[in-house]
Amino acid sequence: MTKKTHLFAEDSFFLSRRKFMAVGAAFVAAMAIPVGWFANKLARRNDYIKARSAGLYQDDAIAKVRVSHRNPAIEKYYSDFGGEPLGHISHELLHTHFVDRTKLS
Amino acid sequence: MTATTYQAGEIQGLIEIDASKCKGCDACKKFCPTQAIVGASGAAHSIVKDRCLSCGQCMINCPFGAIKETHSALDRVIRKLADKDTTVVGIIAPAVRVAIGEEFGLGTGELVTGKLYGAMNKAGFKIFDCNFAADLTIMEEGSEFIHRLHATVKGEEHAGALPQFTSCCPAWVRYLEGNFPSLLPHLSTAKSPQQMAGTVAKTYGAKVYDMEPEKIFTIAVMPCTAKKVEASRPEFNSAWHYNHEHGAHAAEYPDVDAVLTTREMAQLLKLLKIDLATTPAYDGDSLFAQYTGAGTIFGTTGGVMEAALRTAHKVLTDTEMAKLDLEPVRGLEGVKEADVTLFDKQLGQEVTVKVAVVHDMGNNIEPILRDVAAGTSPYHFIEVMNCAGGCVNGGGQPVQGTGSSWIGNIG
Repeated sequence: MTKKTHLFAEDSFFLSRRKFMAVGAAFVAAMAIPVGWFANKLARRNDYIKARSAGLYQDDAIAKVRVSHRNPAIEKYYSDFGGEPLGHISHELLHTHFVDRTKLS
Repeated sequence: MTATTYQAGEIQGLIEIDASKCKGCDACKKFCPTQAIVGASGAAHSIVKDRCLSCGQCMINCPFGAIKETHSALDRVIRKLADKDTTVVGIIAPAVRVAIGEEFGLGTGELVTGKLYGAMNKAGFKIFDCNFAADLTIMEEGSEFIHRLHATVKGEEHAGALPQFTSCCPAWVRYLEGNFPSLLPHLSTAKSPQQMAGTVAKTYGAKVYDMEPEKIFTIAVMPCTAKKVEASRPEFNSAWHYNHEHGAHAAEYPDVDAVLTTREMAQLLKLLKIDLATTPAYDGDSLFAQYTGAGTIFGTTGGVMEAALRTAHKVLTDTEMAKLDLEPVRGLEGVKEADVTLFDKQLGQEVTVKVAVVHDMGNNIEPILRDVAAGTSPYHFIEVMNCAGGCVNGGGQPVQGTGSSWIGNIG
């Protein structure tokens, strides 16, 4: 058994050609993203999400009717055609079944 | 055959990375809810299509504009609009009306419902607001929740599973189907508003429009790329089944014929030289343009839950909620929760309904699902949306400036 205490240091500085390419590519990729891009992206994302949500809450606030069960068109749908929620036609037209996607082939 | 996560006929590989533009910067991986993007840093990435939910979050957040959609219905839609023998019905999702204006120089979040109706009417669409279908979804999904709650409280044998999950978001539904199939009984069986709208347009709608269902072409305008995959699911042909049973003989057709994203609808209007910004407001042309405040907030995180509780409260107590705004489920916190205590007339006792709202699914859903699987979840009703902020930030919305806009500066 040899006791080469410098083995670790030597290894860490040795890069194969392949490894060199990989480190180089990662460096280039990191450089391609400007400093602070991610934080900036998330901050800006928050701003436009909030603005668009506010638009929808405004639509709610100005609506003449604000609850689904009092939508006159919905009442008309059920009385003219759909029967009642969870009724026969609803079961046929408005509900579905799900698929276990781990068992497809 | 090798295992797949797609049913026959479903759109596969909707989202794709253009290897020649990808710099391998890994930004997309931070936005992917299912770790579907692979490739070493610095090398061109690719998407594992069996894991991909088609949510498009990677696409709207790629700094190099290197990610694209492989399916566009734009050409088909243009042909159908020109066909005098076809009635083209445009199904407009809630979140589109607060974002499409951005493509025409209007402010972010500006509400343009009337202008959008006007522009689409000019282009030849009949207006079917998906918000009407959102109201319909509340009636069905809310009733289902009350049914499950009552059956559970009474200890009935085949009471549906609680907590009940919402089923509006196609990326979330696909995630559960592929990753936690044992929890599928918890998912509401109500179709999403898009699919309800398509089905209603071709059944009851055919009577309202007074025409043959097979001459109706339904186009959903969605803030979402995953809605394209949802519309292609083979089981979504209920209108054809229904009409067939009632004596029609037409060849099979889907409930929703085509899906355009918000971006593609803007593109269509520009191709037709219709400037949304200067189009006068229009009210719509049938009862399908009538919707409520509850229907419209579906487009943002917490909205489905808020809308559902407004109606559940009325059904359970026979009185309207004193204050309709449900503040605890609004805002951008990853997991939001609320308790509503009410006197249930039918049960004759006080009930506390505990609800949770989850968005930015990739970062927030797993602990919730582990609790549900273990039977320790404290909630009765859980809303889940894949995208951070809900549909307003969907993968089909206008891309905000952090896309490829700055790339010119670094050559």
